[in-house]
Amino acid sequence: MILRGLWERRALALIVLLIAVVPIATAAVGPVYTAAARTTIVRNAIDTAPAEGRGWRYATTGLDVKGSVAAFVAGAGFTTPPVFGMETTSGRPGDERVLPLMWQEGQCEHLPRAVGRCPAASGEVLASEASGFKVGDEVLLSSIVTSDPDTGKLVPAPLRVVGLYRPGPADDTYWFGRTLFGTGRTDALFTVPQTRFDTHALGSRWTDYGIVYADPRRLTGADLGTLARMQAAAEAAGRDTDDIVFSRMADTLKAMTAQTDALDVPALLVVAQLVGLGWLLLFQTVGDLVRARGPEIALARLRGHGRLRVWLFALAEPLLLLATAVPLGLVLGRVAAGLMIGALLPRDIPVDLPPETFAAGIAATLGGVLAAAFAAYRTATRPVTEEWRRTPRGSARGWVLDAVVLAVAAVGLVELLAAGVITDVSGQSSSALAVPGLLALGTGLLAGRALPLLSRRLFGLTRRYGGIGPFLALRQVARGPVTAGSVIVLGSAFGLATFAVSAWTATQGDYRQVAAFHNGAPTALTIRPMEPRALTAALDKADPTATLAAPVIKLPGPPQLVATDPVRLAMVGHWDPELAGGTSLAKAAAALTGTRSPRVWLRGHRLRVSLRHDRPPDGYTSRLRVTLRIPGEAEPVAVPLGLLRGAKGGDYAWNLPPACADSPCELRAVHVELIGPPDQEASPFLQLQVTGLAVRDAGGWTTLDPPAWTVDGDPARTDGGFTASTIDNQTLRPATHGGVLPAIVVGATDGRLSPGLDQLFAVPSERVANAVAAPGLDGPGVLVDLEEADRIAYGVHAGATYEIWTTAADPTALERALREQGVTVVSARTVDDLVAGYAGEGPGLALTLLLVSALAAAALALGRTVLALHTAARRRGYELAALEASGARVAALRLSLMLEQVITMAAGTLAGLAAGLLAARVALSRVPQFARPPLTPPLPHEIAPGPVALVIGAALLASLLAAAVVSESLLRGVKVERLRDAQS
Amino acid sequence: MSAVRCDGIVQIYTAQDVEVVALRDVDLVIDPGETVALLGPSGAGKSTLLWLLAGLLRPSAGRLWLDGVEVGRLDQRRLDRLRSTHIGMVLQNPARNVIGYLSAAQNVAFAQRAVRTDRRRVRDLLTRVGLGDMGARPAGRMSGGEQQRLAVAVALANAPRLLLADEPTSQLDAGSGARVIDLIKDAAERDGTTAVVVTHDVAVSEALSRTVTIRDGRVGAEGRRGEDFVVVGREGAVQVPPEYHHLLPPGSMARIEPIEDGVVLRRTDT
Repeated sequence: MILRGLWERRALALIVLLIAVVPIATAAVGPVYTAAARTTIVRNAIDTAPAEGRGWRYATTGLDVKGSVAAFVAGAGFTTPPVFGMETTSGRPGDERVLPLMWQEGQCEHLPRAVGRCPAASGEVLASEASGFKVGDEVLLSSIVTSDPDTGKLVPAPLRVVGLYRPGPADDTYWFGRTLFGTGRTDALFTVPQTRFDTHALGSRWTDYGIVYADPRRLTGADLGTLARMQAAAEAAGRDTDDIVFSRMADTLKAMTAQTDALDVPALLVVAQLVGLGWLLLFQTVGDLVRARGPEIALARLRGHGRLRVWLFALAEPLLLLATAVPLGLVLGRVAAGLMIGALLPRDIPVDLPPETFAAGIAATLGGVLAAAFAAYRTATRPVTEEWRRTPRGSARGWVLDAVVLAVAAVGLVELLAAGVITDVSGQSSSALAVPGLLALGTGLLAGRALPLLSRRLFGLTRRYGGIGPFLALRQVARGPVTAGSVIVLGSAFGLATFAVSAWTATQGDYRQVAAFHNGAPTALTIRPMEPRALTAALDKADPTATLAAPVIKLPGPPQLVATDPVRLAMVGHWDPELAGGTSLAKAAAALTGTRSPRVWLRGHRLRVSLRHDRPPDGYTSRLRVTLRIPGEAEPVAVPLGLLRGAKGGDYAWNLPPACADSPCELRAVHVELIGPPDQEASPFLQLQVTGLAVRDAGGWTTLDPPAWTVDGDPARTDGGFTASTIDNQTLRPATHGGVLPAIVVGATDGRLSPGLDQLFAVPSERVANAVAAPGLDGPGVLVDLEEADRIAYGVHAGATYEIWTTAADPTALERALREQGVTVVSARTVDDLVAGYAGEGPGLALTLLLVSALAAAALALGRTVLALHTAARRRGYELAALEASGARVAALRLSLMLEQVITMAAGTLAGLAAGLLAARVALSRVPQFARPPLTPPLPHEIAPGPVALVIGAALLASLLAAAVVSESLLRGVKVERLRDAQS
Repeated sequence: MSAVRCDGIVQIYTAQDVEVVALRDVDLVIDPGETVALLGPSGAGKSTLLWLLAGLLRPSAGRLWLDGVEVGRLDQRRLDRLRSTHIGMVLQNPARNVIGYLSAAQNVAFAQRAVRTDRRRVRDLLTRVGLGDMGARPAGRMSGGEQQRLAVAVALANAPRLLLADEPTSQLDAGSGARVIDLIKDAAERDGTTAVVVTHDVAVSEALSRTVTIRDGRVGAEGRRGEDFVVVGREGAVQVPPEYHHLLPPGSMARIEPIEDGVVLRRTDT
């Protein structure tokens, strides 16, 4: 009987099924997409983490490393097969420096051989090319011993060098981020496991280890908990056993969690709103189905069927349809989510169906179930006789429900905006994402009330003017049973869609703004660290026009520091004069160059400093040191010149580093280290003055021109004199700069000491321009001249990153030219890359979900409204036939039908537009866009009017077309002959 | 015990915020097995009275007994039960009485569901109404006459003691109408069913044993064995039949003259 009934009402049933399927699918898309987005987040986090942040190095001195590692990874299906290894360390006879002796599975594939072969037998080793060993050499390690066959004593075991290796790629994750190479004599030696078993470790032990990575190709968002448990187990192993698990997975997990938290709350709100919208649509449509069964239900009641039986009878059809819609909707949601994921997320992201999918699908269905129950209740309890009255006693739509919903929406809005009910971990107000839904619903309700009232007012006018078409249209809009519902549904759906489009376009603009400033220029090439002057020189050769690229050294701060070439920056840097008080980048950059004096260059083998000084205090050690910048090295080198001696001073000389013989080194500072006895309470000091500098090269000593001097902490002292003390020790420096660092200042760093390239905060910054945003800065900081900063700093801090900013459309040519100049480009990052990265963060993914789903829901709402209006108009077939019979022109009837539909749909759509724009104005600035909101630049939140106009315009055009088609089809079905049926 | 007893029934409903008195002080007693035609102009309250008798409405005032049971004292469940076991109803429009996509037999069975499905009775009823060979045909594909006969069969599905029919012949030709009336009379004669039929059709009213005319919500007249009588109402009110309005127009004044077995009304000119 149920199936027959559904077939009898197949058109309506199909519509209900469709309208039930789409919200279920839309709701189901959310969890599927969110799961995929979580997978994207965790995989991105793994991909971008350093090697040691991608897994664990499980080390043990126990016997069963394989068992320990197996227990550690048990239950984790996403780890790579472990790579096992063993190592010990030892000095060499007569050399205290420690070097590792190790073996790691598959090591030979990761050690490019310069000469020789990989070790294959016990006692064979592979040594670093930089170590100075040669193939055939015998290496003796103090701790690796063997029994002398003659004496029985333990003697260092001879290890024979069978090959030399060059350091492999620095980013080779095989080594788990370890720095085993590059130090020359202490580079690791590689052998085979048999060496361990044929020798004894004396004074040190062999450590076994297994390296396990999280495989990003198999890792999913659902594994986050397992990852956390493994990390906890790793930390516990260090505490509770002798095993040591080294990993920076905790940092990676922290990044993952921040991102997934930033995704989960917005995604939940988006899904909740879509489920709510689905409820609204289902509430209207399923109710239609129950009402369409009104006569049958009345017959059941007439025949004395009990209340329960009547309820079941009324609910059977809608419940069957909804039950059918659930699997269909889930399948459709899975397909749609798959398409979205394929289009928006990286490849290879699996499309899973998490349990939340089913919950969301069923939750979306519950709206229909409630609607069916509500409609069935009304149909089952209203007087049966109403079903058969010639003129049903229409009941006015109550205000109570509307008032309750409006009150809830208003309270919710006030609560959300004033208090922020839901705040995610990043401090952004995820609750703002609930604003569009509440506002759209409220506006839809008000518009649904206002339209009939307005039509009623205009209705009077059309009695006198405008003809029968507008008269009938307005009368129907004013009295029509579907007007309010349609306006509410359209207003809510298009409110959400307008907000989604607005938020999307504004967010895209914000992403681009942030990315442009943070990247500094269209493309930023990350390079290996190098000495600033060498970097500048290399770039001068790679880009001789000085128009394509700028060298940049960045320090994270706070405050942050970006040092660059001002002239080049003016050509390539991203800048917005409006964010810098109208100052152009060229003008601001030009002001970064300060007053300069010549640097002190030392080229030769030996340095001599002539010094006049007081007698060093008794019991104190006074060691004279100079600080040098050596070509090719970013960090300074201190060279001791000896202990102070005598009462008046003298000449102090020491060898310069070998590199200074080929290229000039720069004298950066002179100071005396004064160390007293531990129990000394007095604070002696002594005055010193540099009276001369000389360098010896092959031709003998060359006296250098005395430079202008300055003293850190006492800049006025320029005679080469300074004070050595245990409390306030001074440093004498060549005065190569003006004593302040001119800077473009972002944020409240003005007047403070500038961090400097060495992060020593040696000199204050001098503001030459105040900007709200500057290239390369993502927080408060300064942008300075690289040359100035280099003169001020002793060296470059190890935490600095080195970049080349360029505007080149194709940076490969520049990269090639840079490589030719010895610059190693590690990676390239474009503004688009950053934008894509932001879009791939939790909030970006949630907004994408909102956009796609809201547009789908809006299209559905429009379709539902067209059908509802069509159904309502069809019910008036007799009336139209009677009007035609009484002489009304078909054109007037057509106009009436079209106007009625267009007015209703346009009112709903425009109400949605207003609600959406209002929501954007109120909530856009609070909607989470970034996992970590940037401190600078300010976000413009500019809504692109084009896409919003496109959505609304398309909706209005579709309304017009639908109205025309529906009107025509209805009019073709209106025949005067139907009036005969009106007797019935 | 009477099959139907109305005692001062008043029915008021609200339409467009205006209270409308559909029935006022209706007193009516119908004996078991009687066939009664309810007559009267449109809007007089006939259908409302029928719905009251069917238990579909509860009277605003007054008391109603069906087979000795006071309807006003029944809760909804008992009322449903009473309706399913004691009352059969034929609605005005034949199509309204049936579910179009169900077969004739299923329609009759649907009416039996509240009590007990009796397939033999279904077949018997369809045979009685002349639809014995159409049991499997969907009701929606039947003609108006066939649907009306099926409606009678549906109304009789549970062997009701009270059969209510609202304009059962209004959309039928004379032959089909006569057949439907025969069915109603047959039910009364065969099963002792009391029938109350709202009709405008003189042929129907003449075919039934008694007529009750409702005017302005009151019982205005009754007819028995071909003779019409005015009914003296609860407050002594008497409705002058329309055919005498030219002698005693509404609004005119009359003098009452008692005679041995009643009174005479005489119009006065002052």
